[in-house]
Amino acid sequence: MSSILEVKNLCFSYDPNNKDGKYAVHDVSFSVEKGDIIGIIGHTGSGKSTLVQHLNGLLKPTSGEVLLNGKNIWDEPKKIKDVRFKVGLVFQYPEYQLFEETVFEDISFGPKNMGLSGEELTARVNEICEVVGIKKEYYEKSPFDLSGGEKRRVAIAGVMAMRPEVLILDEPIAGLDPKGRRDTVSMIKQYRKAYGATVIIISHNMEDMALLADKLLVMNKGSIEMFDTVYNVFSKYDRLKEIGLAVPAAAEVLRRINEKNSSIRTDIFTTKAAAEYLCAYAAGEKGA
Amino acid sequence: MKKVLKDITFGQYVESNSFIHRLDPRTKILLTILGIVFLFLADSNNLFSLLVCIVQVAIIIAFSRVPLRMYLKNIKAILPIIVLTTIINLFYGSGEVLLSFWRVTITTGGVNRAVYMAVRVILLILLSSVLTYTTTPNDITDAIESLLSFLRIFGLRTAVHMLAMMMTIALRFIPTLVEETEKIINAQKARGADLESGKLFQRIRALIPILIPLLISSVRRAYELAEAMECRCYNGGVGRVRMKELKYGLRDITAAAVMLIFCGGVIAVNILL
Amino acid sequence: MSDKQIEIKNVTFSYGDGEEKRNVLENFSLDIERGSFTVILGHNGSGKSTVAKLMNGLYKPSGESGKVLVDGIDTRGSEHEIEIRRKVGMVFQNPDNQLVASVVEEDVAFGPENLGLKREEIRARVDEALKAVGMFEFRKSTPHHLSGGQKQRVAIAGVIVMRPECLILDEPTAMLDPKGRAEVMDIITRFNRENGMTVVLITHFMEEAEPADRVLLLNDGEIISDGKPKEIFSDIETLKKAGLDVPQTTELLFELKQNGMDIDTDAISVEETAARITAALHLEEK
Repeated sequence: MSSILEVKNLCFSYDPNNKDGKYAVHDVSFSVEKGDIIGIIGHTGSGKSTLVQHLNGLLKPTSGEVLLNGKNIWDEPKKIKDVRFKVGLVFQYPEYQLFEETVFEDISFGPKNMGLSGEELTARVNEICEVVGIKKEYYEKSPFDLSGGEKRRVAIAGVMAMRPEVLILDEPIAGLDPKGRRDTVSMIKQYRKAYGATVIIISHNMEDMALLADKLLVMNKGSIEMFDTVYNVFSKYDRLKEIGLAVPAAAEVLRRINEKNSSIRTDIFTTKAAAEYLCAYAAGEKGA
Repeated sequence: MKKVLKDITFGQYVESNSFIHRLDPRTKILLTILGIVFLFLADSNNLFSLLVCIVQVAIIIAFSRVPLRMYLKNIKAILPIIVLTTIINLFYGSGEVLLSFWRVTITTGGVNRAVYMAVRVILLILLSSVLTYTTTPNDITDAIESLLSFLRIFGLRTAVHMLAMMMTIALRFIPTLVEETEKIINAQKARGADLESGKLFQRIRALIPILIPLLISSVRRAYELAEAMECRCYNGGVGRVRMKELKYGLRDITAAAVMLIFCGGVIAVNILL
Repeated sequence: MSDKQIEIKNVTFSYGDGEEKRNVLENFSLDIERGSFTVILGHNGSGKSTVAKLMNGLYKPSGESGKVLVDGIDTRGSEHEIEIRRKVGMVFQNPDNQLVASVVEEDVAFGPENLGLKREEIRARVDEALKAVGMFEFRKSTPHHLSGGQKQRVAIAGVIVMRPECLILDEPTAMLDPKGRAEVMDIITRFNRENGMTVVLITHFMEEAEPADRVLLLNDGEIISDGKPKEIFSDIETLKKAGLDVPQTTELLFELKQNGMDIDTDAISVEETAARITAALHLEEK
């Protein structure tokens, strides 16, 4: 079996007795292949964040199960900590969880909890910093003296340092400026390339999703609305609109042009690809 | 955690529109204090004065329209304390010896005393439960500010205002901070932090990754709140007028009168019987 | 009365002392017209928040030179502080850290209570302000149970309840989801158009500058461009240099232009972008 992560009929209610029968997550099933990049999109309150907290065992399903490499993560509740090392979860605004005096110490926190120490620990931190491009001169700085974007990257590196097989990030680029965004996205890509890790990203930003993800999981009211390739999900324009989600702006623009001239394609979702297509179209028109 | 959050936000408030709910919160606080004082003034050698107290509390509870099981829940919560006081009281007192073993003797006086003490503690809990079940923390804050306002004749106006402002801000921010704590705990757990096991010292050390981010964020919040308050023309409460006005009504007079009759009853029974 | 709501004249502002001293603004000047809608764009650390806080006297100019006038009143003197704050309301980024009370209507009442208005007057103003931001039905709720966008609307109500002539908003949408952002932008635009309120919006989202009369681009404490939204948007190189987020629509037009297409790059909305491309490709009526 090649699925690294499998979720089966997961239901979750914040009320343990579930008197009112309301679920934050209801009957969710999906599986993730090793090395995939999955994007999760959905409204605020659609259950995205609740869902991902099940994947590393921070929340325990009311019913249903989560399988990591084919094994139910709750088979041995005492070893749930090991699951958290294999499935790294970066919360929204992770820079608020920084607490150590130096960048090096803060990135070491996760590996230390795994039981690493001494040279092994230093080697681990060095390695991850090299992979994601955090320079050595930052090691002794206080994380609180860094810029917003730098803090964010140190916090993410703190989770990456545990070298998780699955890396989950909740809105990793929210609130960053363009440079911070570029750096953060490239660091996620570098991590994936170096370790062949599986990546799951929650985001509101459809453009980034179109650029980054292989498949999109669309959440609506606690259930899965779609789980398909980026192309197929963004092609269901009307349904996305119905549940209050947008398609990337480039696709939206192409649709408007298509209303005027139906020979224009509407199935291009990134700005770059749309620009290339339109230029090629213009050249073709001229040639004809 | 969610439950803690709910308890702090609403205290133990139970939504209803009963006579007691609609009383001015100041009336409720004053009458609760009065009621508690009289619980202890009731003669402990006089069955009737205790009966008057029981009837009084029963009537108040009936008028509060809060389900009885809610009150029982509060009594259950302090049951160990009731049992303990009862047992201790059992061994004191004089009178006819009922039981004697080893160095312990139980007398009629002791039994008497134990029962009275238990009933008193239960009534005390019930009375204060009525206050918290029928009054929101906000109303309690406003009432305390208003009741303490007499202190301004001693030049303590700023102190009273500051106390009230602090209580208001605490009520506003405790849920936010509880939620934030929960988030930080989850984030550090995701990094493998172990908060549940280990010896006391290890557990205290394990709190550092939670307390430091919480402290930093609280300081930031405090700073931003201060700026926002300043922008909203806050100047330390000088010349401040509250929108919400507490007003005593006929209802409050009625409640006070009934309470006083019962208190009079306790005194009368104490003296006459 | 002058038609200038706010005048910043040759102001220098610095943080820290001695060695650590750092000038955020140097000899900075800016006028805000009464009734205008001005957007100040800039990346984090460009000095835009400092400019905002100078405008209502929360920060005072450093040193002796330069001054900030609100309606002709110098913000330096402390005797006019309340008057200035009353004229110039300020909304911040994090709605959670602006709300004081745990009941919506009591929070909105905070400002007028401080002003010592009559009780009936406070009541009337609070209801009016809550209706203006569409939060009247939530007046008895606790802020903790509201969404980010709703909390920010309550924060705005808490400022307009003092009936300011000018509203300054410092990144009011930065922490909100797309829905919350749209709600807040709608309210801000309405206050300017319908009530003639002077609005200064500070943001790093370029698309939020679209409804403005005037856009200022701030970089390292200096205004690097100043003009109508379309003028500013058509100069994408400068926007990018200032570290700004360019909307995907504008980015698309920019890419097309770079690839040699003869096209205007001053559009932001999807409709306008589509129209520009349709025109450039001569797709109309085919």
